Amino acid sequence: MCLKLDKIRYTKVAQSLAHPKTAHKRFKFCVYLMMILLLFGCSKSKTENPDAITITFWHSFVASTIPALNDLIEQFETEYPDIKINAQYVPTGDALIQKLITAIQSRTAPDISWIHSDFLADLVDADAIYEMAHFINGENGLADDEIKDIYPALLQYASLRKKLYSIPMEATNLALIYNKDLMRKAGLNPENPPRNWDELREYAVTLSDDFNNDGKFDQIGFFVPIFPASGPLSGWMMWQWIPYLWQAGGYIVNEEQTEVLYNSEAGVQALTLWKEIYDKLNLKTFTADYDVAFASKRVAMSMDGPWNLPRFNTMLKNLDWAFAPLPAGPAKQATVVGGEYLVIFKQSPNPDAAWTFIKWIIRPDVQARWAMKSGYLPVRKSVSKVPEFVEYLNEHPNFKVFVDQMDVAQVQRPLDNYGLQITRHIAEAIEAATLGGMEPREALNRSAEKSNQLLRSLNTNSDN
Amino acid sequence: MPGSSQKQYHAKQNRRNFITGLLFLSPTLVIFSMFILFPVFFSFYLSFHKWNMFSSSHAFVGLANYQRLLTDPEFWMVLKQTVMYTLGTVPLNMIIALFLAIALNKQIKGKRFLRTAFFTPVIISPVAAALIWRWIYDPNFGLLNYATGIFGIPPVNWLNDSRAAMIALILMGVWKTLGVNMILFSAGLQGIPDTYYEAAEIDGAGRWSKFWNITVPMLTPTTFFIMIMSMISSFQVFDIVYVLTSGGPMGSTKVMVFYIYEYAFKFFEMGYASAVAYLFFAMLAVLTLLQVKYMRSRSGYEAL
Repeated sequence: MCLKLDKIRYTKVAQSLAHPKTAHKRFKFCVYLMMILLLFGCSKSKTENPDAITITFWHSFVASTIPALNDLIEQFETEYPDIKINAQYVPTGDALIQKLITAIQSRTAPDISWIHSDFLADLVDADAIYEMAHFINGENGLADDEIKDIYPALLQYASLRKKLYSIPMEATNLALIYNKDLMRKAGLNPENPPRNWDELREYAVTLSDDFNNDGKFDQIGFFVPIFPASGPLSGWMMWQWIPYLWQAGGYIVNEEQTEVLYNSEAGVQALTLWKEIYDKLNLKTFTADYDVAFASKRVAMSMDGPWNLPRFNTMLKNLDWAFAPLPAGPAKQATVVGGEYLVIFKQSPNPDAAWTFIKWIIRPDVQARWAMKSGYLPVRKSVSKVPEFVEYLNEHPNFKVFVDQMDVAQVQRPLDNYGLQITRHIAEAIEAATLGGMEPREALNRSAEKSNQLLRSLNTNSDN
Repeated sequence: MPGSSQKQYHAKQNRRNFITGLLFLSPTLVIFSMFILFPVFFSFYLSFHKWNMFSSSHAFVGLANYQRLLTDPEFWMVLKQTVMYTLGTVPLNMIIALFLAIALNKQIKGKRFLRTAFFTPVIISPVAAALIWRWIYDPNFGLLNYATGIFGIPPVNWLNDSRAAMIALILMGVWKTLGVNMILFSAGLQGIPDTYYEAAEIDGAGRWSKFWNITVPMLTPTTFFIMIMSMISSFQVFDIVYVLTSGGPMGSTKVMVFYIYEYAFKFFEMGYASAVAYLFFAMLAVLTLLQVKYMRSRSGYEAL
């Protein structure tokens, strides 16, 4: 019965739709409806200050940093009432770059975005962003010594082919985190963390323990960060290895960028250090969740950055822990820096207002305030002279370790082409030598061969 | 319609019907062309170009992308691993699925529950499932090593050993897709008339002989269909690889789609990635065609 009724109803609807006049009307109606919807979609929401310029700013700050960011923006808007900052969260890493690609292609790019320096080459090649000289040499520019005040390692990452295309917003670096209680238990002085590679090697073994005598360490002295080279933590692994290469006096690439040098003697030394500890502690069967293992006293030493300080302060509440500078290598002391870099898109209707915001962010007092609220490191040396900041550092010794370490942050030689692939090749060598049990020299040579092949192909292409 | 001849009226009506039909189809057509048809052609075009996704121009490079992939040892390694994964999953999957389908075709207690249980992995999100399996394979706290330990088998570092990782991946792949094939086999089994079995019983056939002489040949079209579909889907495996092993350790579980993904979205070499995708597509097409030909000549069933 019901079915029958439905069928009749359906036929009627179908007939009325198929009827030429009704169909035409309906079609018209649909077109109008779509036009109205489109109009709604295009209308802009009104801002409080009708004359204010709105600057869209894409970033990927984690939830815990958002209050600090809001504070920063609020302060800026009070100082510059005619500029409004519309900060929008975008997912970090691969997702951010994919979103940027789409936005550039559809001409909906933001005014400012934070990016990883890896992506600079692609953005510059696509002619999507301004060269900073455009603003620095302009009316509202920056003096030369103001630029020189920015840590050179950061300026290097912010540049491409010797030209500055971005401005660092904040800095990070890598340091050693260690458990003081476990040091005491092993008979070591908790105030003397390893200062050099020999001590690191020695402590890594001393701090390891096999509680249940099953021949496998239940507590390990030093976590060597090995992750799949093709996985999401590949870059993180390679970033932690670079300082060891530098500490041994090595480089990733030669100055002309025609040949990689990470398979040099220094590279072999650095990878051998990692491999020795990895093999001795049998880390192959150890968990990859090193921070959880650190919190549960299964890891005595590992490496991490300042962005984790707020998290560790709560997560490691019941532990006696501290950060220390990375141990020095046979050649020198060195660490690697990271950070996020601000770029201004050529699609921006108000590039000068965007620059005003960026210039303001790197003002020393703003940097000091931002660092204290967010836990990131300042990008300028002179911030350490801001009195409140000096006081803050004395109260926060762990944070101070990172700020002090900025002085030994090594400038990475530029890698303007195939950077992503070469980074991957290094990660493959690290994985092969540790997890794969290959000889470090052989693993590095094999990767270097691949990298050099790419660099060579570049030269032959440009000759044509 | 006033003033027009019968013929004209019909022509008009036909055109109108055509437009109406097109309008009804338009949502699907628009989505299909935007997200399937256009990318298919665009990626073919890209496979002869160099493009990093950012720039508005694509540099023509001719066959350079194809040349590069044929000389890249990693491509051949990845191809070998993809074939290994397929050879590992498809037969194992089909044998277990057939066994389960036959077992659950009988009137046994808890049949519905068991069928649901075996089918559940299919509807679990692959990412969630792979995370569960990561834990199962954990060298220290994993369920699998615990279970094998009971029988005195020494623990295996499933995901950190380049030989074991592929086996781990295959096991999970079989578990994940078993349910679909089991249901397909069940449907095939129900399509075999009981009369055949009755006749065979009268002739005194045993269980084994009934299976080989009735079930297997009668299931041929189903088997064939399942084989082609599972081969295609296991050649295209990606999500579980991405979450379970990320292609590691040392690239030992890197499969073709993962390789394409890396070049496209990690290194932004869209041209090269498209070339790999097209070559891979050609290989799959040839393989499927060969299977169709072979099976047709063997069975005489017009399965597809």
